[in-house]
Amino acid sequence: MADLLLETARADALWERLAGSGRLRGLYRDGDPAQGLDAAALRALFTELDAEETVGATLGVCVQSTTALPLLAAAARRAGDPAHPLAELVRDALAGRRTIGLAATDVTPGSDLAALTTTVTLAEDRLTVTGRKEWIANAGFASHLLVLARHGRGRGIGDFTWVVVPADAPGVTVEAADTPLFDGSGTGHASFREVTLPPDHLGGAVGRGLIDFSRHIAVERLASAAWGHAMCRRVLRETVAYLRGRGEGPAGLWAREEVRRRVAECLTATAGLGALIDAHADAVTGRHDQLAAALLKASAARTVEQVVAVAAHLQGARAFAAGGLQTLRAQAGLWSVGGGTYEVMLSTIADHTDRLLDAPA
Amino acid sequence: MIEQGFADLLADHLPEAPRPITEQVRLRDAGLDSVHSIDLLLAIEDAYGIEFPAHLLNDETFDTAGSLWAAVDGTVRGAASPAGNGGRYG
Ligand SMILES: Cc1cc2nc3c(=O)[nH]c(=O)nc-3n(C[C@H](O)[C@H](O)[C@H](O)COP(=O)(O)OP(=O)(O)OC[C@H]3O[C@@H](n4cnc5c(N)ncnc54)[C@H](O)[C@@H]3O)c2cc1C
Repeated sequence: MADLLLETARADALWERLAGSGRLRGLYRDGDPAQGLDAAALRALFTELDAEETVGATLGVCVQSTTALPLLAAAARRAGDPAHPLAELVRDALAGRRTIGLAATDVTPGSDLAALTTTVTLAEDRLTVTGRKEWIANAGFASHLLVLARHGRGRGIGDFTWVVVPADAPGVTVEAADTPLFDGSGTGHASFREVTLPPDHLGGAVGRGLIDFSRHIAVERLASAAWGHAMCRRVLRETVAYLRGRGEGPAGLWAREEVRRRVAECLTATAGLGALIDAHADAVTGRHDQLAAALLKASAARTVEQVVAVAAHLQGARAFAAGGLQTLRAQAGLWSVGGGTYEVMLSTIADHTDRLLDAPA
Repeated sequence: MIEQGFADLLADHLPEAPRPITEQVRLRDAGLDSVHSIDLLLAIEDAYGIEFPAHLLNDETFDTAGSLWAAVDGTVRGAASPAGNGGRYG
C-alpha cells in the first residue's frame, strides 16, 4: 500500500471535491441519503470517477456513498433527534469531512455473513465490541467504522446489529491489507478489543443488522455495475484507438477481422450490461430489489472480467507496463468477490427462476 | 385469514410451497432459509411500508404463513396507531 498519510490526504481531498461540487449530495434524492439514491446521478458519478480516479479511490467512494452513508442516515432519521451523534456524523460525511468504513466481512467467510464472530454486548449504559473485520475499504483512513456485529447467539436474521465505532476509540487497531492492487482505497483489517462505547453508537435498530445490510448493499451492487459499465466502455475506446494507430494502413490492426470480432464480443457484453442497468436501476434504488441487484452484479462481474481481459490481450506488451490493463485485469477480479461473490449472486438469481421465466405460480 | 396479496407475495418467494398458500404452510418446509427470509422480509417491508420491530425477528414469526401474516398485520396496525412501535429505535 502507498504511504498511508499520502493516501489519507488524497482521500480527504477527493471527499472535499465531491462535497464541494455538490456531486455527493446530488447522488441522493432531495440531497438526503436517508431518501435513497438517484439512479441517473449514480451512473453519472461512477462514470466520472472511473475516468478521473484510481480503482482504489473509486472503491472507497463506492462503499461509503452507496452503502455506509444511506444506512447511517436511515438510522439517524429513525433516531429522530438532529443532535444525535449519528445525525452529526452523516452531516459531516456529506460535507466531505468524514470517511466511513463499512465493516461487514469478518474473519469468517464473507459469503456467509450469518457466521460472523464479531460480537457486541448490549448493556443499559454501554456497548462493547470485540472481534476482527478483514478487507475493509477506507479502514486505513476512516474516522468511523460501521461494524456489523452479533448480539445474539444464533444465525437468525434478528441476531445482528450495526455499531458505529470511532477509529480512535481505545481497543481499535487497524492494519493495512497487504495488496499492491488497491492503492487509494485504504483497504485494511480492523481489530476490536473490548471496545466500549456509549449506547447511542448503535448504527440502527438492534436486530436489524443483516436486514439493513441486505437493503443497502443492493445499491452498492448497482453502483459496481454502473462503474463496471463505464470502465468497459472506456477500456474499449482506448483499445480501439490503440489498435487503429498500430501497424500498417489507416486502420492499423483494427482492420483485422479477428481483432474486430473479439472487440465486437466485448461490445455485445457491454451493451447487454448497459441494457440491464437501464432496465433495473430504478428497482434497486427505489425498492432495493434483491434479484435486480444480483442480476446486475453477476452480469457486471462477467462482463468486466471478459472485457478487461480481451482488451489487455489486444494491447499486447503495452498492457504489462506499470498501470497498464494487465493490472486492471487483476483489479477487475474484485467485481466477482467484493460486495457479494459471483456464486452468491447466482444463488439469488436461481431462487427467482419462476419470476424471471414468468412461469405461472 | 391471510390476505390474498400476502399469499401472492409468499408464492412469489416460495415457488416450492404447496398451493394455495394457507395459514398452516410451514415456511421452512416450503424452502425458506435465512437468506430467503431476508429477501422475503425486505419484499414484505416494501409492500406494506413497514419496518419489522426487532422482537419479531425470530423463528416463531417465520414458522408458518399464518404466524408471519400475524406479525405483518400486527406491525401494520401498530405503525398506524400513535402508540405503535413501527419506527422505534432499538
Ligand atoms: C479490495 C477489497 C475491498 C473490500 N472491501 C470491503 C468492505 O469495505 N467491507 C466489507 O465488509 N467487506 C469488504 N471486502 C470483503 C468482501 O466483501 C469479501 O471478500 C467477499 O464478501 C467474499 O468473502 P471472502 O473473501 O471471505 O470469500 P469466501 O466467502 O471465503 O469465499 C471464497 C470463494 O468461495 C466460493 N464461494 C463462496 N460462497 C459460495 C457459495 N455460496 N457457493 C459456491 N461457492 C462459493 C467463491 O468462489 C468465493 O470467491 C473487500 C474485499 C476486497 C478484496
